Amino acid sequence: MVDHPVLDLTDAPAEGPQVPAVRMVELTKRYGTLTALNRFSLAIAPGEIVGLLGPNGAGKTTTLRTLLGLLTPSSGTAEIFGIDAWRDPVAAHRHLAFIPGEFAVWPQLTGRQTLDLLGTVWGGYDRAYRDELIERLSLDPSKRGRSYSKGNRQKVAVIAALMTRAPLLVMDEPSSGLDPLITATFQQLLREAKQRGQSILLSSHILSEVEAVCDRVAVLRQGVCVEQGTLAELRHLHATTVEATYVGTPPPLDDVPGVDDAEVGDGVLRLHVTGSPDPLLKALAQAQVTAIQMREPSLEELFHAYYDDRADGA
Amino acid sequence: MTTTSPTTPRPRARTNVARRSPAAVWWRAYRHHLRLTRNAALAWIAGLTALSAGVAVTVEDRVGSEAERQLLESMHDVPAFEALQGRMVEIGTMEGFTLARWGMFGILLAVWAMLAAVSLLRRAEERGHVEPLRAGVLTPRRLLAAAIAALWTWLAVLALAIGASHSALGFDPPTAWALGGAAALLGATFAAAGALASQLAATRGSAVALAGTLLGAALAVRVAAPATTTPDWLWWATPFGWMGFLHPSDASQATVLVALAALAAVLALAALALGRRDLHAGLVGGEEASAPRARRVGGQAGLALRVTAAAAGTWAIIVGVVTAAFGLLTHDLIDAMAGMATMVELGREMFGMALDAPEGMVGATFFFVAVLLAAAAAGQAAAIREEEASWRIEHLLARPVGRTRWLVTRLLVSAVALLAIALAGGVVAWAATRLGGASVALGDALLGAVNVVPVAWLTLGVGVAILGLAPRATAAATYGLVVAAFLLDFVGPFLELPDRVLDASPLRHVAAAPAADVDVAAALVMLAIGAAAALVGVAAFARRDLKEA
Repeated sequence: MVDHPVLDLTDAPAEGPQVPAVRMVELTKRYGTLTALNRFSLAIAPGEIVGLLGPNGAGKTTTLRTLLGLLTPSSGTAEIFGIDAWRDPVAAHRHLAFIPGEFAVWPQLTGRQTLDLLGTVWGGYDRAYRDELIERLSLDPSKRGRSYSKGNRQKVAVIAALMTRAPLLVMDEPSSGLDPLITATFQQLLREAKQRGQSILLSSHILSEVEAVCDRVAVLRQGVCVEQGTLAELRHLHATTVEATYVGTPPPLDDVPGVDDAEVGDGVLRLHVTGSPDPLLKALAQAQVTAIQMREPSLEELFHAYYDDRADGA
Repeated sequence: MTTTSPTTPRPRARTNVARRSPAAVWWRAYRHHLRLTRNAALAWIAGLTALSAGVAVTVEDRVGSEAERQLLESMHDVPAFEALQGRMVEIGTMEGFTLARWGMFGILLAVWAMLAAVSLLRRAEERGHVEPLRAGVLTPRRLLAAAIAALWTWLAVLALAIGASHSALGFDPPTAWALGGAAALLGATFAAAGALASQLAATRGSAVALAGTLLGAALAVRVAAPATTTPDWLWWATPFGWMGFLHPSDASQATVLVALAALAAVLALAALALGRRDLHAGLVGGEEASAPRARRVGGQAGLALRVTAAAAGTWAIIVGVVTAAFGLLTHDLIDAMAGMATMVELGREMFGMALDAPEGMVGATFFFVAVLLAAAAAGQAAAIREEEASWRIEHLLARPVGRTRWLVTRLLVSAVALLAIALAGGVVAWAATRLGGASVALGDALLGAVNVVPVAWLTLGVGVAILGLAPRATAAATYGLVVAAFLLDFVGPFLELPDRVLDASPLRHVAAAPAADVDVAAALVMLAIGAAAALVGVAAFARRDLKEA
């Protein structure tokens, strides 16, 4: 296990941890008549990892680019540690590092030159940590950009961001193109970053990655945030699958709040419950239950629920 | 043990997918390449046809009297003229004068055809556009053939445009069609040369360098041709020389056309023979080697220097070649001019150039350098835009680099590079003029160089304004303005356009320094307009969304 130095937060804003790392208020981006992002609000506390989920075209990249000041917000505000990202992007960017999903390299620069360039323009970087990252992610930094594969280009982007030890990491599909082994290393690096107190905003399609590292999730659909909360809260909003075996008379379930899709078979009942399970448990207590299993929805099931809603509404 | 019977059915393709024949697939790829090249090709076809037709219709204006006709006819006895212009035959006539101009127009056409081929084949590959096409049923050779065929189709359109327009203008029809055909075949030859270089070289940059070397060598032979004692055989050693044998009096039109067609076909076949290479590879260079001891780039200014250096170096070589050629020939040209008072007077009246003195020749040289520098400036504006279009800019702007700082840094580095190119041209002009036997002071040569820098800076400023206001139009609009300015200054006077229209070209306001005094007022106005345009561009860029390609 590599021993990581403690993150030096002396470069972080003086206001301290009470200032959110990211604060977006009613952020809106329109392209003519198309509203790519509609009144999106999100706050990320220091040390928190938030996942941004949504299908293609949901507005995830627009959100990140507006947060970075690369796109003008049509209305609303985006702040990095209390600094307006559009009005003062340079000051805001001193506190963040960004990993794009598609890293367009300068074809004539080697990986090492690119890392040095990006670290220099950021204002400095941890050389020892860079070398460690190069080793852990198995990058050959002596090759020129034009000869890197997509995965290797992405490694350069990941190293360029992490080696700055910025207090906030903004990532747009950061592990796209990485192989499973390197993806696992990358997720470990994210956990280490969290341990050091770095905040992360992670837009990803890889639900297992989001599930593994994120404290909270925001789900975007057609530019609108349809859900936001911790994974536990999201699960609470969605049906939990319950399977119980019983002896004798089946429990009375007709008027139990939150219970849906109840199937009563030969000594076995299956159902979904949404919200508090307390009324269900009280109803089950009226029967002779011999075993009970409750399974919360996986993120994938939650994700499908939102997408299927979209399909239903279409 | 499992055996497979010969009658075991093979997996079937889905029946609702219509299978296209290889010919139909090729035809679709060919149309795709036609579409990719359409806008640039149509612009070049229109431009070259208009340029050539403009020259043809103004011959009568240029040779009003028999004396002037005699004077023009005498030019082909001067090797220095033919070295610059190409072989000249009966240039007192419409056909002769126009054909002689193709000594220069042919170079423009060859450069475009070569760059278009390399761009179509290698830039597309570097941008990842080729994989999806080659992942289908298209073989690399068929894809290459589709690209070459598309370029050749546009060149055939050029042949039709020149043949029809020049016939309509009163050209001897067979000569008009021979000129159209030869121009198209010269373009086809260099398109094929570009395609061949794209197979040999491993990267777009090295393909351009290789094809450019071929083009430069062909041109060098043509420049050397008039100096030989057996004039004709060396003319025949280069396709640029063949263009000089299109005049009816040479009775060589058919030979020229056949020779060009054969050369184009051989080069295209060679390209096709090598066409089955690996993706992102070539016979020269191969996979990019490691560069463990590569120097640090430094910060954002270092990057700006680094990405500007290659283009600036190429332009410095081009400007160096032009100034060296003019410089070496200055002594001979002045000698020839001594017996051509009318020509000298014409140069003085129309361009303000004293063509009978070395300083005047340096001024004339830097008129061409002004056009090249303006084109280099347009290239810089396009390169700045490419950083945004490729989205590489995101890596910098997502870090603590302000947009204004980024653009101003790029702008300043480009401006300094343009100045350096001009100064290098001045030094080469001075040295080459002395080597050629004439004499011009270094200070005068440098004055001539600095004199044309405001035009380049104006172009750069306007390019940045376009980048800020209409980013996707940056390259086309900035190059378009340079071409328009050149045509206005070069052809406009013969078309008797009103002064107000002609004055719109900044090139008109460049004094023929060092023979004439530098027009300081005009230079200051150009610098002020350029600076204002750049400010508008920087301000607009700082406030707008970044735009992808």
